[in-house]
This record gives sequence, C-alpha cells and structure tokens, in this order.
Amino acid sequence: MKNCLKVLRAERDWTQADLAENLEVSRQTINAIEKGKFDPSLPLAFKVSRLFSMPIEDIFDEEFEI
Amino acid sequence: MSKILDAILCKGLPARDIKNANRVNLLAILWAGTLAVTALSREYTWHSTMLFISIIFTVHTAIGVLMVFAFRKFLKELDDLERKIQLDALALSVGVTIISFSSSSILSVAGVIEKLDQSSLIMLMAITYMIGTVVGRIKYR
Repeated sequence: MKNCLKVLRAERDWTQADLAENLEVSRQTINAIEKGKFDPSLPLAFKVSRLFSMPIEDIFDEEFEI
Repeated sequence: MSKILDAILCKGLPARDIKNANRVNLLAILWAGTLAVTALSREYTWHSTMLFISIIFTVHTAIGVLMVFAFRKFLKELDDLERKIQLDALALSVGVTIISFSSSSILSVAGVIEKLDQSSLIMLMAITYMIGTVVGRIKYR
C-alpha cells in the first residue's frame, strides 16, 4: 500500500522516532510502513489519520494490480 | 552483526511491549522450572507420592495457563509490526513442527529412526519460533 507518511512527517520536521512516539509504536514499524513493506492495522491507520487530521484515504492509497 | 543483535534483543520496542514480554518470559522460566523440579526429584522417595504429583501438576498447569493468558495480552497490545512478526514466526513454528513430526513418524514406522519424544517437539517449536522472530525482525528493520 502506498502512503505519504514520509512527506507528512517531513512537513512537520519529525523524525521516524518522533512519529513512532506519537503513535505509540516502534520506529521499525514507521520505517516499514514508509517503505511500503508493511500495511498498518485499521486501528493504527485511524491513529495516523487523527494525528495528521486527514482522512485515511488521503494518507494511504491502495495499489491495484491488474 | 549489530542487526542480528538488535533483532535478538528486540531493540526499539515500546516499553509497554517489553514489560509484557518480560512477564511472558518470567512465566516461561517458572513453567520450565516446574518441569525441571519434576525431573530432578526422581532421586527422592517423595517423588512418586500422590501429594507431590498433585502439587507439581497443579502448579505446572496453573503457570502454563497464566503464561497463555500473558502471551495473549502481549500479542493483543503488541506493536503492529512486531505482532505480524510474532504471528508469522508462530505459523512457521507450528508448520515446521507438524511437517517434521508427520514425516519422522513415517520413518519411525519403517524403523529407520526411533520415535521422537515430546521434548523434541517442544524444542523444535521453540527453536523455529526464535528463528522466525529474529528473521522477521531483520527483514523489516
């Protein structure tokens, strides 16, 4: 799943560790999500959405394979 | 090398997860300890008394049940990525153990090898679980 977490984080001048602390997850989780290696759970996606005050679909974009 | 060490020591996990993991580890040590007490007490006459067997059975089972609940809580509250790593490792562990034992049972029926005992089952599960966890942590690091 594509996402703009890295951009949103950079806009706020946050490190991966800062974002991880805000979301109460590990820095490795943030890194894996940003790299598209790992898709967050729905509760975590909602947490991200609330933190950035943006709808989930504006942050995460499903990649369709045809 | 540092990557492997970090993976083994689960570096970077939130404090809540470390606390829950320590609780599970402590119960696992106590659980294994009750098994060790049973094995070591064979030399004594009170080993086969009904009172001793009842006590050790109750304590061992109770610690086992507590360990299962502690592990459930650990998984439930666990960091998102680490939960996936743990569940993948559990799937690997169960899969490898079932396949190994079903395959070895064919060989033991044919008389090629001796029948594997329960301790081998627990050992195999534990080792594949540990390998799965460390490999998962390295993969997503």
